[in-house]
Amino acid sequence: MILRLPFTIRSTSLLHRRQIRSPSASAVSSSPTTTHSSFPPRPRPQTPLFLRPPAHSAARADLDAFRRWAKSIAITAAPRIAANGGPDADHLLRELSWLVQDATSRPEAAGEVRLRVGLEELYRLWRERIEERKPFQYVVGCEHWRDLVLAVREGVLIPRPETEMLVDMVARVEGFEEGLWADLGTGSGAIAVGIGRLLGEGGKVFATDLSPDAVEVARLNVERYGLKDKVEIRQGSWFEPLQDVKGKLAGLVSNPPYIPNSHISGLQAEVGWHEPRLALDGGKDGTDYLLHLCEGCASALKPGGFFAFETNGDKQSEFIADFMSTMWGNFFENVKIVSDFAGIKRFVTGFHR
Amino acid sequence: MAAGALFRWALLPSPKHLAPPLLRTPRSPLTFARIEAFSSSTSTTNSTTNYLRLTDEELMAQCDMDTFKASGPGGQHRNKRESAVRLKHRPTGIVAQAAEDRSQHKNRASAVARLRKLLALEVRKAIDLNDYTPPTELLQILPAKSTIRGSDVGPQIGPNNPKFAPGMQALLDLIYAVEGSVSEAAKILGLSTGALSRLILSDDSLRMSVNDLRTSKGMRPLK
Ligand SMILES: C[S@@+](CC[C@H](N)C(=O)[O-])C[C@H]1O[C@@H](n2cnc3c(N)ncnc32)[C@H](O)[C@@H]1O
Repeated sequence: MILRLPFTIRSTSLLHRRQIRSPSASAVSSSPTTTHSSFPPRPRPQTPLFLRPPAHSAARADLDAFRRWAKSIAITAAPRIAANGGPDADHLLRELSWLVQDATSRPEAAGEVRLRVGLEELYRLWRERIEERKPFQYVVGCEHWRDLVLAVREGVLIPRPETEMLVDMVARVEGFEEGLWADLGTGSGAIAVGIGRLLGEGGKVFATDLSPDAVEVARLNVERYGLKDKVEIRQGSWFEPLQDVKGKLAGLVSNPPYIPNSHISGLQAEVGWHEPRLALDGGKDGTDYLLHLCEGCASALKPGGFFAFETNGDKQSEFIADFMSTMWGNFFENVKIVSDFAGIKRFVTGFHR
Repeated sequence: MAAGALFRWALLPSPKHLAPPLLRTPRSPLTFARIEAFSSSTSTTNSTTNYLRLTDEELMAQCDMDTFKASGPGGQHRNKRESAVRLKHRPTGIVAQAAEDRSQHKNRASAVARLRKLLALEVRKAIDLNDYTPPTELLQILPAKSTIRGSDVGPQIGPNNPKFAPGMQALLDLIYAVEGSVSEAAKILGLSTGALSRLILSDDSLRMSVNDLRTSKGMRPLK
Protein backbone atom coordinates (compact mmCIF):
# COMPACT_ATOMS: atom_id res chain seq x y z
CA MET A 1 0.00 0.00 0.00
CA ILE A 2 1.29 3.40 -0.87
CA LEU A 3 1.02 5.95 1.82
CA ARG A 4 0.02 9.26 0.38
CA LEU A 5 1.03 11.90 2.83
CA PRO A 6 -0.53 15.28 2.45
CA PHE A 7 1.77 18.21 1.97
CA THR A 8 1.21 21.47 3.67
CA ILE A 9 1.87 23.00 0.30
CA ARG A 10 -1.49 21.74 -0.87
CA SER A 11 -3.33 23.81 1.62
CA THR A 12 -1.44 26.89 0.56
CA SER A 13 -2.24 26.32 -3.08
CA LEU A 14 -5.86 25.85 -2.15
CA LEU A 15 -5.75 29.17 -0.43
CA HIS A 16 -4.85 30.84 -3.69
CA ARG A 17 -7.69 29.15 -5.44
CA ARG A 18 -10.14 30.36 -2.88
CA GLN A 19 -13.21 31.99 -4.21
CA ILE A 20 -13.02 35.66 -4.68
CA ARG A 21 -15.70 37.26 -2.58
CA SER A 22 -18.62 37.87 -4.91
CA PRO A 23 -19.06 41.53 -5.87
CA SER A 24 -22.59 41.49 -4.53
CA ALA A 25 -21.28 40.93 -1.01
CA SER A 26 -19.45 44.24 -1.00
CA ALA A 27 -22.48 45.91 -2.51
CA VAL A 28 -24.32 45.20 0.71
CA SER A 29 -22.40 47.89 2.49
CA SER A 30 -22.83 50.55 -0.17
CA SER A 31 -26.36 50.04 -1.46
CA PRO A 32 -28.64 52.72 -0.13
CA THR A 33 -31.97 51.77 1.36
CA THR A 34 -35.11 53.81 1.14
CA THR A 35 -36.35 53.51 4.70
CA HIS A 36 -32.82 53.78 5.96
CA SER A 37 -32.54 55.79 9.12
CA SER A 38 -29.21 57.36 10.01
CA PHE A 39 -29.46 56.08 13.59
CA PRO A 40 -28.15 53.68 14.86
CA PRO A 41 -25.00 53.20 12.77
CA ARG A 42 -25.33 50.69 9.99
CA PRO A 43 -23.98 47.33 11.13
CA ARG A 44 -21.27 45.54 9.24
CA PRO A 45 -22.74 43.41 6.48
CA GLN A 46 -21.63 40.26 8.24
CA THR A 47 -23.88 40.73 11.23
CA PRO A 48 -26.54 38.03 10.99
CA LEU A 49 -29.89 39.50 10.07
CA PHE A 50 -31.62 38.40 13.25
CA LEU A 51 -29.03 40.22 15.39
CA ARG A 52 -29.36 43.60 13.68
CA PRO A 53 -31.30 46.34 15.41
CA PRO A 54 -34.86 46.88 14.13
CA ALA A 55 -33.95 50.27 12.77
CA HIS A 56 -36.33 50.20 9.82
CA SER A 57 -40.02 50.02 9.39
CA ALA A 58 -42.52 49.35 6.66
CA ALA A 59 -46.26 49.32 6.22
CA ARG A 60 -47.71 45.86 6.75
CA ALA A 61 -49.27 46.05 3.31
CA ASP A 62 -45.84 46.67 1.77
CA LEU A 63 -44.37 43.68 3.54
CA ASP A 64 -47.27 41.60 2.31
CA ALA A 65 -46.58 42.82 -1.21
CA PHE A 66 -42.96 41.74 -0.79
CA ARG A 67 -44.11 38.30 0.34
CA ARG A 68 -46.37 37.90 -2.68
CA TRP A 69 -43.61 38.94 -5.05
CA ALA A 70 -41.05 36.70 -3.36
CA LYS A 71 -43.42 33.77 -3.46
CA SER A 72 -44.16 34.22 -7.13
CA ILE A 73 -40.52 34.41 -8.21
CA ALA A 74 -39.72 31.40 -6.01
CA ILE A 75 -42.46 29.32 -7.59
CA THR A 76 -41.46 30.34 -11.09
CA ALA A 77 -37.80 29.52 -10.50
CA ALA A 78 -38.33 26.37 -8.42
CA PRO A 79 -38.38 23.79 -11.24
CA ARG A 80 -35.12 25.12 -12.63
CA ILE A 81 -33.52 25.26 -9.18
CA ALA A 82 -34.70 21.80 -8.18
CA ALA A 83 -33.45 20.34 -11.44
CA ASN A 84 -29.95 21.42 -10.52
CA GLY A 85 -30.08 19.72 -7.10
CA GLY A 86 -31.40 22.75 -5.27
CA PRO A 87 -34.50 23.03 -3.12
CA ASP A 88 -38.05 22.67 -4.44
CA ALA A 89 -40.86 25.21 -4.20
CA ASP A 90 -42.08 24.09 -0.75
CA HIS A 91 -38.63 24.42 0.58
CA LEU A 92 -38.08 27.86 -0.91
CA LEU A 93 -41.34 29.05 0.59
CA ARG A 94 -40.25 27.78 3.99
CA GLU A 95 -37.02 29.73 3.55
CA LEU A 96 -39.04 32.80 2.67
CA SER A 97 -40.98 32.59 5.90
CA TRP A 98 -37.71 32.19 7.82
CA LEU A 99 -36.29 35.23 6.05
CA VAL A 100 -39.27 37.32 7.10
CA GLN A 101 -39.03 35.86 10.58
CA ASP A 102 -35.38 36.94 10.88
CA ALA A 103 -35.97 40.35 9.29
CA THR A 104 -38.90 41.41 11.44
CA SER A 105 -39.03 42.33 15.08
CA ARG A 106 -41.84 41.81 17.56
CA PRO A 107 -44.01 43.36 18.86
CA GLU A 108 -45.48 45.10 15.86
CA ALA A 109 -47.47 48.26 15.94
CA ALA A 110 -50.78 48.17 14.11
CA GLY A 111 -50.26 48.42 10.37
CA GLU A 112 -46.50 48.93 10.83
CA VAL A 113 -43.74 46.36 10.84
CA ARG A 114 -40.35 46.88 12.45
CA LEU A 115 -37.59 45.60 10.18
CA ARG A 116 -33.91 44.81 10.63
CA VAL A 117 -33.20 45.80 7.01
CA GLY A 118 -34.93 48.20 4.70
CA LEU A 119 -37.67 46.73 2.54
CA GLU A 120 -35.63 47.39 -0.58
CA GLU A 121 -32.79 45.38 0.89
CA LEU A 122 -35.20 42.54 1.58
CA TYR A 123 -36.08 42.46 -2.11
CA ARG A 124 -32.41 42.39 -2.99
CA LEU A 125 -31.68 39.56 -0.56
CA TRP A 126 -34.41 37.36 -1.99
CA ARG A 127 -33.27 38.08 -5.54
CA GLU A 128 -29.81 36.93 -4.55
CA ARG A 129 -31.28 33.76 -3.13
CA ILE A 130 -33.28 32.95 -6.27
CA GLU A 131 -31.19 34.39 -9.07
CA GLU A 132 -27.68 33.85 -7.78
CA ARG A 133 -28.53 30.72 -5.82
CA LYS A 134 -26.91 32.22 -2.78
CA PRO A 135 -27.39 29.75 0.07
CA PHE A 136 -30.23 30.83 2.31
CA GLN A 137 -27.93 30.70 5.33
CA TYR A 138 -25.61 33.29 3.78
CA VAL A 139 -28.60 35.47 2.95
CA VAL A 140 -29.72 35.61 6.57
CA GLY A 141 -26.23 35.12 8.03
CA CYS A 142 -27.06 32.22 10.31
CA GLU A 143 -27.79 28.54 10.50
CA HIS A 144 -29.88 26.68 13.05
CA TRP A 145 -27.74 23.75 14.04
CA ARG A 146 -28.52 21.47 16.97
CA ASP A 147 -29.97 23.85 19.56
CA LEU A 148 -27.66 26.64 18.41
CA VAL A 149 -28.11 29.56 16.07
CA LEU A 150 -24.68 30.04 14.51
CA ALA A 151 -23.47 33.02 12.56
CA VAL A 152 -22.21 32.11 9.08
CA ARG A 153 -21.15 34.10 6.07
CA GLU A 154 -19.37 33.76 2.74
CA GLY A 155 -15.98 32.20 3.20
CA VAL A 156 -17.19 29.85 5.92
CA LEU A 157 -18.81 26.46 5.41
CA ILE A 158 -22.45 26.25 6.47
CA PRO A 159 -22.60 23.45 9.05
CA ARG A 160 -24.57 20.42 7.86
CA PRO A 161 -27.19 18.48 9.79
CA GLU A 162 -25.18 15.26 9.47
CA THR A 163 -22.39 16.82 11.50
CA GLU A 164 -24.71 17.37 14.47
CA MET A 165 -24.06 13.74 15.43
CA LEU A 166 -20.37 14.30 16.09
CA VAL A 167 -21.27 16.21 19.25
CA ASP A 168 -23.40 13.32 20.48
CA MET A 169 -20.54 10.91 19.91
CA VAL A 170 -18.24 13.03 22.01
CA ALA A 171 -20.85 13.27 24.77
CA ARG A 172 -20.91 9.47 24.94
CA VAL A 173 -17.20 9.21 25.77
CA GLU A 174 -16.67 8.46 29.43
CA GLY A 175 -15.28 11.45 31.30
CA PHE A 176 -15.34 13.71 28.25
CA GLU A 177 -16.47 16.66 30.36
CA GLU A 178 -13.09 17.15 31.96
CA GLY A 179 -10.90 16.48 28.94
CA LEU A 180 -8.99 18.56 26.42
CA TRP A 181 -10.58 18.32 22.98
CA ALA A 182 -9.64 19.45 19.50
CA ASP A 183 -11.89 20.34 16.57
CA LEU A 184 -9.69 20.61 13.49
CA GLY A 185 -10.98 22.71 10.62
CA THR A 186 -13.63 24.26 12.84
CA GLY A 187 -15.24 26.50 10.19
CA SER A 188 -18.07 28.37 11.91
CA GLY A 189 -17.01 26.71 15.18
CA ALA A 190 -20.15 24.56 15.15
CA ILE A 191 -18.69 21.35 16.58
CA ALA A 192 -16.44 23.18 19.03
CA VAL A 193 -19.30 25.27 20.40
CA GLY A 194 -21.52 22.19 20.57
CA ILE A 195 -18.90 20.35 22.62
CA GLY A 196 -17.89 23.42 24.63
CA ARG A 197 -21.40 23.80 25.97
CA LEU A 198 -21.30 20.31 27.44
CA LEU A 199 -17.92 20.55 29.14
CA GLY A 200 -17.28 20.76 32.86
CA GLU A 201 -14.82 22.83 34.89
CA GLY A 202 -11.66 21.19 33.59
CA GLY A 203 -12.74 20.65 29.99
CA LYS A 204 -11.65 22.68 27.01
CA VAL A 205 -11.81 22.60 23.21
CA PHE A 206 -9.05 23.84 20.93
CA ALA A 207 -10.46 24.66 17.54
CA THR A 208 -8.19 25.32 14.58
CA ASP A 209 -8.70 26.56 11.07
CA LEU A 210 -6.44 27.84 8.34
CA SER A 211 -9.01 30.27 6.99
CA PRO A 212 -9.05 33.77 8.52
CA ASP A 213 -12.77 34.04 7.70
CA ALA A 214 -13.50 30.86 9.61
CA VAL A 215 -11.41 31.99 12.56
CA GLU A 216 -13.29 35.28 12.72
CA VAL A 217 -16.72 33.70 12.51
CA ALA A 218 -15.84 30.91 14.95
CA ARG A 219 -14.66 33.53 17.47
CA LEU A 220 -17.93 35.38 17.06
CA ASN A 221 -19.93 32.23 17.73
CA VAL A 222 -17.83 31.27 20.72
CA GLU A 223 -18.35 34.73 22.15
CA ARG A 224 -22.08 34.75 21.51
CA TYR A 225 -22.45 31.59 23.52
CA GLY A 226 -20.22 32.88 26.31
CA LEU A 227 -17.67 30.11 25.82
CA LYS A 228 -14.43 32.04 25.68
CA ASP A 229 -13.13 30.04 28.65
CA LYS A 230 -14.17 26.73 27.13
CA VAL A 231 -13.28 27.09 23.45
CA GLU A 232 -10.02 28.48 22.19
CA ILE A 233 -9.77 29.29 18.48
CA ARG A 234 -6.33 29.04 16.95
CA GLN A 235 -5.40 29.87 13.39
CA GLY A 236 -3.14 27.49 11.50
CA SER A 237 -2.96 24.29 9.55
CA TRP A 238 -4.44 21.19 11.25
CA PHE A 239 -2.11 20.15 14.10
CA GLU A 240 0.36 23.01 13.73
CA PRO A 241 -1.27 25.30 16.30
CA LEU A 242 -1.57 22.43 18.79
CA GLN A 243 2.07 21.63 19.51
CA ASP A 244 1.70 22.58 23.18
CA VAL A 245 -1.03 20.01 23.83
CA LYS A 246 0.50 17.21 21.77
CA GLY A 247 -0.17 13.85 23.42
CA LYS A 248 -2.56 15.40 25.95
CA LEU A 249 -5.82 15.39 24.03
CA ALA A 250 -8.73 13.35 25.39
CA GLY A 251 -10.28 13.48 21.99
CA LEU A 252 -10.15 14.89 18.51
CA VAL A 253 -12.95 15.47 16.05
CA SER A 254 -12.94 16.81 12.56
CA ASN A 255 -15.12 17.29 9.54
CA PRO A 256 -12.33 17.99 7.07
CA PRO A 257 -12.83 18.77 3.38
CA TYR A 258 -13.57 15.35 1.85
CA ILE A 259 -15.12 15.86 -1.56
CA PRO A 260 -13.08 14.28 -4.34
CA ASN A 261 -11.54 16.87 -6.60
CA SER A 262 -13.39 15.75 -9.69
CA HIS A 263 -16.80 16.18 -8.02
CA ILE A 264 -16.29 19.83 -7.19
CA SER A 265 -17.40 21.22 -10.54
CA GLY A 266 -20.65 19.24 -10.46
CA LEU A 267 -21.79 20.43 -7.04
CA GLN A 268 -25.20 21.94 -6.42
CA ALA A 269 -25.02 25.67 -7.21
CA GLU A 270 -25.53 26.80 -3.62
CA VAL A 271 -22.49 24.79 -2.61
CA GLY A 272 -20.22 24.95 -5.65
CA TRP A 273 -20.70 28.63 -6.48
CA HIS A 274 -20.77 30.04 -2.97
CA GLU A 275 -19.11 27.91 -0.33
CA PRO A 276 -15.32 28.07 0.04
CA ARG A 277 -13.41 25.49 -1.92
CA LEU A 278 -10.92 25.32 0.94
CA ALA A 279 -13.71 23.77 3.02
CA LEU A 280 -14.77 21.18 0.44
CA ASP A 281 -11.95 19.96 -1.75
CA GLY A 282 -10.29 16.89 -0.27
CA GLY A 283 -7.87 16.20 -3.13
CA LYS A 284 -7.98 13.49 -5.75
CA ASP A 285 -9.94 10.89 -3.74
CA GLY A 286 -11.15 13.33 -1.14
CA THR A 287 -9.02 11.63 1.48
CA ASP A 288 -5.92 13.84 1.56
CA TYR A 289 -6.82 15.60 4.78
CA LEU A 290 -8.51 12.62 6.38
CA LEU A 291 -5.30 10.64 6.02
CA HIS A 292 -3.28 13.52 7.42
CA LEU A 293 -5.62 13.63 10.42
CA CYS A 294 -5.41 9.87 10.97
CA GLU A 295 -1.68 10.08 11.07
CA GLY A 296 -1.59 13.13 13.31
CA CYS A 297 -3.99 11.52 15.75
CA ALA A 298 -1.36 8.99 16.71
CA SER A 299 0.77 11.63 18.38
CA ALA A 300 -1.87 14.20 19.31
CA LEU A 301 -4.10 11.94 21.41
CA LYS A 302 -3.26 10.70 24.85
CA PRO A 303 -3.52 6.97 25.54
CA GLY A 304 -7.21 6.02 25.48
CA GLY A 305 -8.04 9.22 23.58
CA PHE A 306 -11.04 9.25 21.24
CA PHE A 307 -11.28 10.33 17.62
CA ALA A 308 -14.23 10.84 15.30
CA PHE A 309 -14.07 11.96 11.68
CA GLU A 310 -16.80 12.74 9.23
CA THR A 311 -16.26 11.38 5.73
CA ASN A 312 -17.80 11.50 2.30
CA GLY A 313 -19.61 8.29 3.24
CA ASP A 314 -19.66 4.55 2.59
CA LYS A 315 -16.49 3.70 0.61
CA GLN A 316 -14.49 6.54 2.09
CA SER A 317 -15.46 5.50 5.62
CA GLU A 318 -14.51 1.92 4.87
CA PHE A 319 -11.19 3.02 3.45
CA ILE A 320 -10.37 5.19 6.46
CA ALA A 321 -11.54 2.61 8.99
CA ASP A 322 -9.46 -0.02 7.26
CA PHE A 323 -6.47 2.29 7.22
CA MET A 324 -6.81 3.04 10.92
CA SER A 325 -7.13 -0.58 11.95
CA THR A 326 -4.45 -2.06 9.70
CA MET A 327 -1.83 0.52 8.76
CA TRP A 328 -2.17 2.27 12.12
CA GLY A 329 -3.42 -0.75 14.00
CA ASN A 330 -0.60 -0.49 16.52
CA PHE A 331 -1.90 2.88 17.63
CA PHE A 332 -5.65 2.58 17.47
CA GLU A 333 -8.30 0.15 18.63
CA ASN A 334 -12.03 -0.22 18.58
CA VAL A 335 -12.27 1.43 15.18
CA LYS A 336 -15.89 1.74 14.11
CA ILE A 337 -17.98 3.10 11.29
CA VAL A 338 -21.08 5.01 12.33
CA SER A 339 -23.96 5.73 9.97
CA ASP A 340 -25.74 9.05 9.73
CA PHE A 341 -29.51 9.35 9.99
CA ALA A 342 -29.93 8.71 6.29
CA GLY A 343 -28.15 5.38 6.70
CA ILE A 344 -24.95 6.48 4.97
CA LYS A 345 -21.75 5.24 6.63
CA ARG A 346 -20.69 8.73 7.55
CA PHE A 347 -18.25 8.63 10.45
CA VAL A 348 -15.17 6.74 11.56
CA THR A 349 -14.49 6.61 15.28
CA GLY A 350 -11.99 4.88 17.51
CA PHE A 351 -9.60 5.12 20.41
CA HIS A 352 -5.89 5.53 20.82
CA ARG A 353 -4.40 2.48 22.49
CA MET B 1 -51.11 -17.57 26.80
CA ALA B 2 -48.35 -15.07 26.90
CA ALA B 3 -49.42 -11.48 27.08
CA GLY B 4 -48.39 -10.48 23.61
CA ALA B 5 -48.72 -6.98 22.31
CA LEU B 6 -52.09 -6.08 20.96
CA PHE B 7 -52.03 -3.39 18.38
CA ARG B 8 -54.91 -1.16 17.73
CA TRP B 9 -54.82 0.16 14.21
CA ALA B 10 -56.48 3.39 13.52
CA LEU B 11 -56.59 2.70 9.82
CA LEU B 12 -57.76 -0.86 9.99
CA PRO B 13 -61.44 -1.37 9.26
CA SER B 14 -63.09 -0.08 12.39
CA PRO B 15 -66.46 -0.90 13.93
CA LYS B 16 -69.10 0.37 11.57
CA HIS B 17 -70.38 3.18 13.77
CA LEU B 18 -66.89 4.53 14.21
CA ALA B 19 -66.13 7.21 11.69
CA PRO B 20 -62.40 6.91 10.90
CA PRO B 21 -61.78 10.61 10.13
CA LEU B 22 -62.60 11.37 13.75
CA LEU B 23 -59.55 9.49 14.84
CA ARG B 24 -57.21 12.30 13.98
CA THR B 25 -58.80 15.66 13.85
CA PRO B 26 -56.82 18.78 12.93
CA ARG B 27 -57.17 19.92 16.53
CA SER B 28 -55.03 17.04 17.60
CA PRO B 29 -51.43 17.91 18.45
CA LEU B 30 -50.57 14.94 16.29
CA THR B 31 -51.50 16.35 12.92
CA PHE B 32 -48.15 15.35 11.53
CA ALA B 33 -48.40 11.83 12.72
CA ARG B 34 -50.10 9.07 10.90
CA ILE B 35 -50.22 5.35 11.00
CA GLU B 36 -48.94 3.38 8.09
CA ALA B 37 -49.98 0.01 6.83
CA PHE B 38 -48.79 -2.72 9.10
CA SER B 39 -48.47 -6.41 8.65
CA SER B 40 -49.46 -8.16 11.80
CA SER B 41 -46.98 -10.80 12.87
CA THR B 42 -46.80 -10.52 16.62
CA SER B 43 -47.99 -13.63 18.32
CA THR B 44 -44.60 -14.29 19.81
CA THR B 45 -43.81 -12.94 23.23
CA ASN B 46 -41.77 -9.85 23.04
CA SER B 47 -40.16 -7.08 24.88
CA THR B 48 -41.57 -4.90 22.17
CA THR B 49 -44.26 -3.55 24.44
CA ASN B 50 -41.54 -1.75 26.34
CA TYR B 51 -40.68 0.66 23.55
CA LEU B 52 -41.30 3.58 25.82
CA ARG B 53 -38.63 2.36 28.22
CA LEU B 54 -36.03 2.72 25.46
CA THR B 55 -33.83 5.78 25.37
CA ASP B 56 -34.33 8.18 22.47
CA GLU B 57 -31.24 6.74 20.92
CA GLU B 58 -32.39 3.14 21.17
CA LEU B 59 -35.75 4.13 19.80
CA MET B 60 -34.12 5.97 16.89
CA ALA B 61 -32.12 2.83 16.16
CA GLN B 62 -35.43 1.03 15.55
CA CYS B 63 -36.46 3.69 13.06
CA ASP B 64 -35.77 4.54 9.47
CA MET B 65 -35.30 8.23 9.21
CA ASP B 66 -35.49 10.18 6.07
CA THR B 67 -35.31 13.84 5.75
CA PHE B 68 -38.17 14.21 3.34
CA LYS B 69 -36.19 13.88 0.18
CA ALA B 70 -32.91 12.39 1.26
CA SER B 71 -30.98 11.41 -1.83
CA GLY B 72 -27.45 11.52 -3.09
CA PRO B 73 -24.30 11.60 -1.04
CA GLY B 74 -25.32 14.26 1.49
CA GLY B 75 -22.80 15.84 3.85
CA GLN B 76 -20.65 18.56 2.35
CA HIS B 77 -22.16 17.95 -1.10
CA ARG B 78 -25.51 19.29 -0.24
CA ASN B 79 -27.22 22.40 0.97
CA LYS B 80 -30.90 21.74 1.05
CA ARG B 81 -31.46 22.63 4.60
CA GLU B 82 -33.41 19.47 4.99
CA SER B 83 -34.58 20.15 8.47
CA ALA B 84 -37.78 18.16 8.17
CA VAL B 85 -37.63 14.71 9.72
CA ARG B 86 -39.74 11.62 9.22
CA LEU B 87 -39.28 8.61 11.46
CA LYS B 88 -40.70 5.21 10.65
CA HIS B 89 -40.64 2.82 13.57
CA ARG B 90 -39.83 -0.52 11.94
CA PRO B 91 -41.36 -2.87 14.53
CA THR B 92 -44.79 -1.21 14.47
CA GLY B 93 -44.83 0.74 11.22
CA ILE B 94 -45.77 3.88 13.12
CA VAL B 95 -44.64 7.07 11.44
CA ALA B 96 -43.96 10.37 13.16
CA GLN B 97 -42.69 13.49 11.54
CA ALA B 98 -41.73 17.03 12.39
CA ALA B 99 -40.92 19.93 10.12
CA GLU B 100 -41.68 23.06 12.05
CA ASP B 101 -38.22 23.94 13.32
CA ARG B 102 -35.24 25.25 11.39
CA SER B 103 -32.88 22.84 13.07
CA GLN B 104 -32.94 19.19 12.07
CA HIS B 105 -31.74 18.34 15.55
CA LYS B 106 -34.84 19.86 17.10
CA ASN B 107 -37.12 18.28 14.54
CA ARG B 108 -35.60 14.90 15.36
CA ALA B 109 -36.34 15.48 19.03
CA SER B 110 -39.96 16.48 18.29
CA ALA B 111 -40.42 13.52 15.99
CA VAL B 112 -39.17 11.12 18.68
CA ALA B 113 -41.46 12.72 21.25
CA ARG B 114 -44.38 12.30 18.85
CA LEU B 115 -43.38 8.74 18.18
CA ARG B 116 -43.45 8.02 21.92
CA LYS B 117 -46.90 9.44 22.18
CA LEU B 118 -48.11 7.41 19.22
CA LEU B 119 -46.59 4.25 20.64
CA ALA B 120 -48.38 4.97 23.91
CA LEU B 121 -51.65 5.40 22.02
CA GLU B 122 -51.34 2.52 19.60
CA VAL B 123 -49.48 -0.29 21.33
CA ARG B 124 -51.65 -2.18 23.84
CA LYS B 125 -50.58 -4.68 26.42
CA ALA B 126 -53.06 -7.17 27.84
CA ILE B 127 -53.52 -6.92 31.61
CA ASP B 128 -54.73 -9.56 34.03
CA LEU B 129 -57.10 -7.65 36.30
CA ASN B 130 -56.98 -10.32 38.99
CA ASP B 131 -53.35 -9.65 39.53
CA TYR B 132 -52.90 -6.00 38.71
CA THR B 133 -50.80 -3.35 40.35
CA PRO B 134 -50.60 -0.05 38.50
CA PRO B 135 -47.00 0.62 37.38
CA THR B 136 -45.12 3.65 38.69
CA GLU B 137 -45.39 5.45 35.34
CA LEU B 138 -49.16 5.39 35.75
CA LEU B 139 -49.11 6.46 39.40
CA GLN B 140 -47.00 9.45 38.38
CA ILE B 141 -49.67 10.93 36.14
CA LEU B 142 -52.46 10.50 38.69
CA PRO B 143 -53.64 13.47 40.78
CA ALA B 144 -52.38 13.54 44.37
CA LYS B 145 -55.80 12.66 45.77
CA SER B 146 -55.61 9.12 44.41
CA THR B 147 -55.79 6.80 47.42
CA ILE B 148 -53.37 4.27 45.91
CA ARG B 149 -50.74 6.85 45.10
CA GLY B 150 -48.07 6.95 47.80
CA SER B 151 -46.37 10.21 48.66
CA ASP B 152 -43.07 8.79 47.41
CA VAL B 153 -44.34 8.93 43.82
CA GLY B 154 -43.50 12.62 43.52
CA PRO B 155 -45.47 15.45 41.96
CA GLN B 156 -48.08 14.72 39.29
CA ILE B 157 -46.69 14.61 35.75
CA GLY B 158 -48.79 16.60 33.32
CA PRO B 159 -49.50 16.05 29.60
CA ASN B 160 -46.79 18.44 28.44
CA ASN B 161 -44.07 16.47 30.17
CA PRO B 162 -42.37 13.85 27.95
CA LYS B 163 -42.73 11.39 30.86
CA PHE B 164 -46.49 11.56 30.45
CA ALA B 165 -46.43 9.09 27.53
CA PRO B 166 -45.53 5.92 29.49
CA GLY B 167 -48.16 6.75 32.11
CA MET B 168 -50.73 7.35 29.40
CA GLN B 169 -49.85 4.02 27.81
CA ALA B 170 -50.39 2.18 31.10
CA LEU B 171 -53.65 4.04 31.69
CA LEU B 172 -54.92 3.02 28.25
CA ASP B 173 -53.90 -0.59 28.91
CA LEU B 174 -56.08 -0.49 32.02
CA ILE B 175 -59.00 1.23 30.31
CA TYR B 176 -58.89 -1.38 27.55
CA ALA B 177 -58.83 -4.14 30.16
CA VAL B 178 -62.03 -2.75 31.74
CA GLU B 179 -63.50 -2.30 28.26
CA GLY B 180 -63.79 1.45 28.42
CA SER B 181 -65.49 1.76 31.79
CA VAL B 182 -64.09 4.88 33.38
CA SER B 183 -65.82 4.23 36.69
CA GLU B 184 -64.27 0.80 36.98
CA ALA B 185 -60.80 2.07 36.08
CA ALA B 186 -61.27 4.91 38.57
CA LYS B 187 -62.03 2.43 41.35
CA ILE B 188 -58.82 0.52 40.63
CA LEU B 189 -56.83 3.74 40.64
CA GLY B 190 -58.35 5.04 43.88
CA LEU B 191 -59.99 8.01 42.20
CA SER B 192 -63.50 9.31 41.75
CA THR B 193 -64.94 8.82 38.27
CA GLY B 194 -64.96 12.58 37.86
CA ALA B 195 -61.27 12.90 38.73
CA LEU B 196 -60.25 10.20 36.25
CA SER B 197 -62.45 11.77 33.56
CA ARG B 198 -60.70 15.09 34.10
CA LEU B 199 -57.33 13.40 33.74
CA ILE B 200 -58.43 11.75 30.49
CA LEU B 201 -59.81 15.04 29.16
CA SER B 202 -56.57 16.87 29.97
CA ASP B 203 -54.85 15.44 26.91
CA ASP B 204 -56.45 15.61 23.46
CA SER B 205 -55.03 12.41 22.09
CA LEU B 206 -55.76 10.47 25.28
CA ARG B 207 -59.34 11.72 25.25
CA MET B 208 -59.78 10.74 21.61
CA SER B 209 -58.32 7.33 22.16
CA VAL B 210 -60.59 6.60 25.14
CA ASN B 211 -63.60 7.96 23.28
CA ASP B 212 -62.85 5.84 20.22
CA LEU B 213 -62.88 2.79 22.44
CA ARG B 214 -66.06 3.84 24.24
CA THR B 215 -67.83 4.59 20.97
CA SER B 216 -66.86 1.19 19.63
CA LYS B 217 -68.36 -0.41 22.76
CA GLY B 218 -71.56 1.59 22.39
CA MET B 219 -70.80 3.87 25.34
CA ARG B 220 -71.20 7.63 25.44
CA PRO B 221 -67.97 9.58 24.79
CA LEU B 222 -66.50 11.63 27.64
CA LYS B 223 -66.97 15.34 27.27
C1 LIG C 1 -15.94 20.84 5.73
S1 LIG C 1 -15.38 22.26 6.56
C2 LIG C 1 -15.95 21.91 8.20
C3 LIG C 1 -16.26 23.11 9.03
C4 LIG C 1 -16.92 22.82 10.37
N1 LIG C 1 -16.09 21.98 11.20
C5 LIG C 1 -18.27 22.15 10.15
O1 LIG C 1 -18.37 20.95 10.38
O2 LIG C 1 -19.20 22.83 9.78
C6 LIG C 1 -13.64 22.03 6.62
C7 LIG C 1 -12.87 23.13 7.29
O3 LIG C 1 -11.48 22.81 7.23
C8 LIG C 1 -10.76 24.00 7.05
N2 LIG C 1 -9.42 23.72 6.52
C9 LIG C 1 -9.08 23.47 5.25
N3 LIG C 1 -7.74 23.27 5.18
C10 LIG C 1 -7.26 23.39 6.43
C11 LIG C 1 -5.99 23.28 7.01
N4 LIG C 1 -4.91 23.02 6.25
N5 LIG C 1 -5.87 23.46 8.32
C12 LIG C 1 -6.94 23.72 9.10
N6 LIG C 1 -8.17 23.84 8.61
C13 LIG C 1 -8.33 23.68 7.28
C14 LIG C 1 -11.62 24.82 6.13
O4 LIG C 1 -11.31 26.19 6.23
C15 LIG C 1 -13.01 24.49 6.67
O5 LIG C 1 -13.40 25.41 7.64
